Amino acid sequence: MDANVIISLNNVNFYYGQNRALTDITMNFRKNKVTALIGPSGCGKSTLLRLLNRMNDLIDDTRVEGDIIYEGKNIYSPDIDPVEIRKKIGMVFQKPNPFPKTIYNNIAYGPKLTASNTGDINMLVEQTLKQAVLWDEVKDILNQSAMKLSGGQQQRLCIARALAMKPDILLMDEPTSALDPISTAKIEELIEELKKDYTIIIVTHNMQQAARISDETAFFYLGNLIEYNKTEKIFTKPDVKQTEDYITGRFG
Amino acid sequence: MTRQAKEIFIKYIFFIFALVSVIVLAMIVFSLFREGLPIFKVVSFKNFVFGMEWYPTYDPPDFGIFPLIVGSFVVTFFATLIAVPLGVLAAIYISEIAPRAIKEILKSVIELLAGLPSVVLGFFGMVVVAPILQETFDLPTGLNIVNASVILALMAIPTISSISEDALYAVPQEFKEASYALGATKYETIIKVIFPAALSGISTAVMLGMARAIGETMVVLMVAGGSAAIPESIFDSVRPMPASIAAEMGETPYRSAHYHALFATGMVLFFLTLTFNIIADYVSHKFKQTGSATL
Repeated sequence: MDANVIISLNNVNFYYGQNRALTDITMNFRKNKVTALIGPSGCGKSTLLRLLNRMNDLIDDTRVEGDIIYEGKNIYSPDIDPVEIRKKIGMVFQKPNPFPKTIYNNIAYGPKLTASNTGDINMLVEQTLKQAVLWDEVKDILNQSAMKLSGGQQQRLCIARALAMKPDILLMDEPTSALDPISTAKIEELIEELKKDYTIIIVTHNMQQAARISDETAFFYLGNLIEYNKTEKIFTKPDVKQTEDYITGRFG
Repeated sequence: MTRQAKEIFIKYIFFIFALVSVIVLAMIVFSLFREGLPIFKVVSFKNFVFGMEWYPTYDPPDFGIFPLIVGSFVVTFFATLIAVPLGVLAAIYISEIAPRAIKEILKSVIELLAGLPSVVLGFFGMVVVAPILQETFDLPTGLNIVNASVILALMAIPTISSISEDALYAVPQEFKEASYALGATKYETIIKVIFPAALSGISTAVMLGMARAIGETMVVLMVAGGSAAIPESIFDSVRPMPASIAAEMGETPYRSAHYHALFATGMVLFFLTLTFNIIADYVSHKFKQTGSATL
């Protein structure tokens, strides 16, 4: 396998009960790149994202076929603990979802779960909040409830919270769809900054966002991977007609 | 009738129906006070509430209800001690852990427990629990604090469990997902995220369960033993306030001192349950955690 590939899917099918949500997906995600997953609603892009850290396990009556290879192993093989996978593959959700705890405890939550990591939580909190460009705004109110922050601040807190686990990969499920343009711009800058250290896979409905921040883009339609290439190529001269139609707004 | 007149008419009809329960409550409280307050001409408030002797039929009578108050508190305390862990843990199991089939069965069984008439539970306490206690611990009687607490706990469990369950269900799915996504196990998620987020609702459930236990009459009348003295061990008999009222009311002459004393006991009980309800209400508002992200 290519050394630049961090996680790869081989003929992955996914079912909600009888419904097939993903059909024969084969793709490689590259290390330290931002990969955008785009496509109309219901095309399976969020489902695919949630497959990568086994969040779909939480939904009853679902089934996965095929292999998702991460660190040389299929993450769906029976001897793999999903908890370990989720520690290495972090996730940021569509709606900011800080815990109803203090800002400090939101960040400390993950590291405190791993007993060995209880070393210097204070430093970790400061470091990750700085990484998420939130430190200056919250350094004096670390013991206040995270619920008091604005939506954009909450989302950056959620990113910081995910970073505190020092993940290999950061999955983002439409992280700016619930935010105003200014908060969105801040998150996008942040993603730009983070890709030096992390692999980021982001689902977005916003075509301009995908074009702005991603290195590679995958277009999904009705559970199929239609086209997957460098972002520049997808947005300038896509190989498939459907991709072009979607990007130019002819459907979706 | 014009449409507007009809609307107004309907509005007031509903208002009157809503008012009925308020009026009835006001009338009950009024008569409780009218019948209860005259006792304080015979005995001072302090000697009534803190008096150690309850001999209402002696000559001269003693109207000290402190042993009755202690009796009520003791059985309520032990009932809570038993019912809270059982009720809350059952609620956590039902709402977070159980597979769907087991969940449905458990829920309906607990609801059935709530539907059991208290006299049936009291009967169970008398004929099943009492002899077991008596034999196991070699006691003069099995009708005592332990027995009453166990039966009261059985009555409080459905209240505590079903209200806690609602509180747990109300915890947003986003919190759980956030926790799992950080590599928390189910157990860690329950302890550190779900339970704290539901805590205000669970506290309300506990307070309402206690209010239910302290006001319960039939059970304590049947299985608490009826001794109006400060208990020295958990195997002593007690006479909680509702039991005293229910047992003695039929024997008292109308508007005698004893009759007024029983109504005054009812007043004390009324204030206690009122307090529990106010605390429950306060707790549920005060510690309500704001839901998921507000934008």
